[in-house]
Amino acid sequence: MDMMEMIGNPLTILVLFPFCASLLLMLVHWAASEDRQADLSRWIRHINLGIALLMFALATLIGLESFSVDLAGLEGWSGLGWHDYLYDNCDQGVLRTGGCAVISSIGVSWHVGIDALSYPMVWLTTLLIPISMLVDWNEKKGAYFHSLILMMEGALIGVFVSLDLFMFYVFWELSLIPMFFLILMWGGEDRRYAAQKFFIYTFAASVFMLAGILVMYFHNPVPAWGGNLTGNSFDLVLMNEQVADSSFITGGMQSLVFLLLLIGFATKMPSVPVHTWLPDAHVEAPTAGSMLLAGVMLKMGAYGFIRLSVALFPESIIEYQWLLVLLGMVSLVYASWVCLGQTNLKRLVAYSSVSHMGVIFLGVATLQPLGIAGAIFMMFAHGIISPLLFAVAGAFKHHYHTLEIGSMRGLAHHSPWMSAHMMVGWMGSLGLPLMAGFVAEVAILIAFWMTFGWLVLLPALTLIITAAYYIWSMQRTIFEGDGEAQLPPTMGDDEPSDLTWHENVGMMTLGIMAVVFGILPFIFFDMMSGWSSDLVATTFVDVMNSLGVEP
Amino acid sequence: MADHSKPEWHLMMPVAAMLLFPVICYKIGWDAIDSSMFIIAIPLVVWPAIAIIGQVWKKTDWWKNHLKEGGIIALAALAVSLCLTIWLIIQFLGEHGNFGAQDSDIASFAWLNFDILAHDGVSWELIGSDKLGFTIGFGIYVDALTLMLLFVAAFLCFLIGWFAIGYMTTDAVNEDRNHRFFAEFLLFSCGMFGMVLADNFLWLFIFWEIMGLCSYLLIGFYWEKPSAVAAAKKAFMTTRVGDVFLMVGLLIIYDLYNSLSFEVIFDPAIIDTVDPERLRLALIMLFIGAVGKSAQFPLHVWLPDAMEGPTPVSALIHAATMVNAGLYLVARMFPFFGASGFEGDFSDVALLITWIGGITAIMAAAIALVANDIKRVLAYSTMSQLAYIFAGLGAACWFANSGHPEFAALAFGAALFHLFNHAMAKGMLFMASGSVIHEMHHAHHQAHGEHGGGDDDHFDAQDMRNMGGLASKMPVTSVAMMLGSMSIIGIPLIGGFWSKEGIIGQAWHAAISQDGGAMLVPALLLLATAGMTGFYMSRMWFMTFAGKPKTDVAEHVGEDTHWIKTPLVTLSLVTAFTGAIFAVLNFPEWLGEGEQLMHGIESHGLAEQVVHVLEHTFLPHESTLLAVGWTAIVISAILGPFLAARIHGGRLAAGEEANPFVGWLVQISGSVGRTNVDEIAKSGFAVALHNRLYIDDLYEWVIARTVVPLGNLLAWFDKSGIDGVIKGIESGSQASSSWIRLMTTGSARDYILMAAVGALCIFALLWGMA
Repeated sequence: MDMMEMIGNPLTILVLFPFCASLLLMLVHWAASEDRQADLSRWIRHINLGIALLMFALATLIGLESFSVDLAGLEGWSGLGWHDYLYDNCDQGVLRTGGCAVISSIGVSWHVGIDALSYPMVWLTTLLIPISMLVDWNEKKGAYFHSLILMMEGALIGVFVSLDLFMFYVFWELSLIPMFFLILMWGGEDRRYAAQKFFIYTFAASVFMLAGILVMYFHNPVPAWGGNLTGNSFDLVLMNEQVADSSFITGGMQSLVFLLLLIGFATKMPSVPVHTWLPDAHVEAPTAGSMLLAGVMLKMGAYGFIRLSVALFPESIIEYQWLLVLLGMVSLVYASWVCLGQTNLKRLVAYSSVSHMGVIFLGVATLQPLGIAGAIFMMFAHGIISPLLFAVAGAFKHHYHTLEIGSMRGLAHHSPWMSAHMMVGWMGSLGLPLMAGFVAEVAILIAFWMTFGWLVLLPALTLIITAAYYIWSMQRTIFEGDGEAQLPPTMGDDEPSDLTWHENVGMMTLGIMAVVFGILPFIFFDMMSGWSSDLVATTFVDVMNSLGVEP
Repeated sequence: MADHSKPEWHLMMPVAAMLLFPVICYKIGWDAIDSSMFIIAIPLVVWPAIAIIGQVWKKTDWWKNHLKEGGIIALAALAVSLCLTIWLIIQFLGEHGNFGAQDSDIASFAWLNFDILAHDGVSWELIGSDKLGFTIGFGIYVDALTLMLLFVAAFLCFLIGWFAIGYMTTDAVNEDRNHRFFAEFLLFSCGMFGMVLADNFLWLFIFWEIMGLCSYLLIGFYWEKPSAVAAAKKAFMTTRVGDVFLMVGLLIIYDLYNSLSFEVIFDPAIIDTVDPERLRLALIMLFIGAVGKSAQFPLHVWLPDAMEGPTPVSALIHAATMVNAGLYLVARMFPFFGASGFEGDFSDVALLITWIGGITAIMAAAIALVANDIKRVLAYSTMSQLAYIFAGLGAACWFANSGHPEFAALAFGAALFHLFNHAMAKGMLFMASGSVIHEMHHAHHQAHGEHGGGDDDHFDAQDMRNMGGLASKMPVTSVAMMLGSMSIIGIPLIGGFWSKEGIIGQAWHAAISQDGGAMLVPALLLLATAGMTGFYMSRMWFMTFAGKPKTDVAEHVGEDTHWIKTPLVTLSLVTAFTGAIFAVLNFPEWLGEGEQLMHGIESHGLAEQVVHVLEHTFLPHESTLLAVGWTAIVISAILGPFLAARIHGGRLAAGEEANPFVGWLVQISGSVGRTNVDEIAKSGFAVALHNRLYIDDLYEWVIARTVVPLGNLLAWFDKSGIDGVIKGIESGSQASSSWIRLMTTGSARDYILMAAVGALCIFALLWGMA
């Protein structure tokens, strides 16, 4: 393994640097003497934020292609095929001595790369990490809180850039650990139960995914740089090539693998009926934890689904199209109605997350490039708007000590900025045009009509319910009051306050991003569209024709 | 409080400076259509500035007094839009209306690019040869319809913004929050401008929703009042229902044409190449959206409650601009009906439009007969007049689809002309009512102190039963309201008369023509409504301005606020004269057929043209139309006001004198005798009308019985049912764990026993296998 070449890859830096830095910072704090620790906490928080911002800058530069990369005649990001990757450190075209194998005996390599599907997610992660650090800047959090968030950054980006399924799985599970501690140590009253449920539930589901990955492993040859004992490897690029040659797993085995993977992804996304870990985890998690959980971790499930299930098993997607529609529709409609019956603000937002992620299944099930691109854009759009919602909910908890919707009225009087951000977020989440969520919805709905016709009425009518619960929750918290705000009993003698500037800056950034991508979605939509077009044109079309699928 | 009667013209200088904007654009070399993107862009960029600067600096003197809490900035932005609009109109007319579908190179951009997978009967493949060949983009589309609505919107946004500065900043209850008002007002204007300028259905929808958002924000402006918040929620949710159907309609249209762009869809070579069955469904979906936005039956319930918002909001959103969005959408649907390939396919859709129009018109007029709140009367009047326009458009569509394009154009032109007249008149009426309410408030405070005296706290400044005799105290307002009411009623030669006669005429024309039997009922309803309109509008005016003051508050009313008067005067002139002027200029024909505006005058000479128009209006050739036309005039202009005068009219108190413009009216109203209607007012039907025919109550009952319990049920199910399974697994695994642990007894004897049994089993197995 060539250390220098590995480190020189910007994606590797994005993964490993935050990870190692956070461990180092935690170690420094632990090793320091008692009297130094308070000072050190402040420094460490700032260093964490600095590193996070640095990673954001790096990710943005990658997107702007500032680093010299041989694009081999591709017209920018939109010209990438569905299995072309940029910043690939194990590029087959270039013979490297030693290769990039990590555990060469079983075919594990450090193989990273980025394309139109994963780059928006990476950029989103690097955007959310500093914002969530900022929103939860409270000094009582101690030195470990922000370091754990930084560790999460490394793990999350690792999931998105890994092109080796072993590393993919490692980072997938690795991201659970900092989140577990975040919930356990800084969460709400029922945090022990919530943290355990979160960890065990999603871990158990991921084990099914692991079983699927192992089956895929045994069908995958070894890349040029590795020689090993088993004759198999975890390399995703090779699997892509096999699919392109139509020689990857087929038949009953493919269905089995698809279903195994689906269990893992559906639990992560989450999809009804395996979604019940989410409300508890969200309600008990600290604000930054909720923001990251909703903003990025849920997207890991969708990303994995599209990267593995959709790209590698087109036959299964077609065979189980009905299942995807069922899961998506139930998630969307059922979760919306459940929102209507909630009295806890964070639970309401949690169920709305379930509802929006269901739309992703619907987008993929349409088998249209527009639908798949819409699904990918929904991942991104929801990843911006959902953290804003949770930041607002967190502000409620922080300033008014409660999340019960019925217990307060007229808070806009005391907290105008919080109310303004609440309105921006709530409106964005219900799909107001000129915000990012609308773009995704309209793309998926157009594709859905093309494929399923009048069935589109069901998601369309659910839009009414979505609006209903959001408007209703605003009515019962920041509005009314008849001239005097009714503070919740949890306030005791405290004076009501508006947002701190940290919270305000964080929320405003997210709000602005949501509007920017609502007005100029083509920044990312074009590349997502190009990717899905290529995928459909090269794989799905052949499969659908060979299977004789009718419209 | 500051003296608000001094004119503050010096504050308007920044606004006047904005007149330079089109000049600068011209110097750069752009023409009007290239600069048109600024009509949308300027308000879009300025509104957040007002909101944020206002929130941070709201207490400073320069913000409050020199910028009128953001009002001046908003007005300046609207001035830019207005100037650019006028420039656009001049250029359009100069080119004789020939730049129908030009895209401005500067303003258009590709928004979404993608491919489409389709099955051509044999196999699946991506359509087209270019990668990402399909685009939904944004561009500017200008034709006569666009310009008329754009002018109405820009002109009224500007004037009502001017009015709002006077209305909002002089009322203490709005202190320190007007920046939010002006910001939302500006965003709303941006939405309207964007909607009429957009060149495809998707962006029409996007700006449509933006207006819906602003409507929610502005109706709920006084968010501390539960009634206002409830009204805002009702408005948003009701229009949302319509919007969802509108979106489904868009999806169908996209699938049919693989485009949402007007230029593509309305191309005569393309428009009728699609399946008419599906297109019919799409048109119905679009119409449902329009019904929601324009508050027609059955999605009308939000409009009366929307009066909770401040009066400038009611004037702008609910009379002059936003509710016209639905009408604009139906007007954009018109080419589908006229396409030759679809003849006969869409007559039921046209009938639907006309029927909804007819039903809403009479229903709203009936409720307005008994309304006591001045704004509610105007709200129902709006609903009723919009219904007229829908009926007119429906008749136009019906004619177009049955192969009579010339009558279709007449009806279409008349309907849109009525939209123009109504917008101008209704905007002014709301502003005038705002003036009345504003002054009643002031008088109330002066008479009873800032916070009212005791149980006077519930004094309703909007209730006409508290007014009376204001003609002498509020000269400008009384004239404005008189002219506005005349326009709405359709008094001959004033404003709305020219267009209303056209609509009623064409509706009857359709009813008496072949296959038009189903149009008879709406036509009758429209005629009856004309009479009712005459009554309730006159009633409103007489209750407010004629007779003697009914409370001591009304005695002390003045007309002091300067900013409010200028817009009223401007619109009074517009209402009084533009109706006639535009009729002479062949405005309806310009809208309907694309004829040039000066055509009639150029070919006949001015005097002959005037005679021609008068003859055409008062003495049509068809005998039925002649009868209908004159019936409408008699019942609306004579009978209705006469009855209203008998019930509510009266001379002013001794010593009071009204200005000559309205004095004659007050005199007449006092000379026609009295009728007492107390018995009728207590009847069951009157009570039902007071309760809005119980439709609102029905909706609320249904929602409370279905939506809310279902939500609660499913929430319970999720927690106990689905999560119950998980909890079952938890407790189950814990239980089985403790059960298995019983094996680890810790006693050596037990372990030796287990080992022995295990060894025996293994031997048995091995022996069995051997």
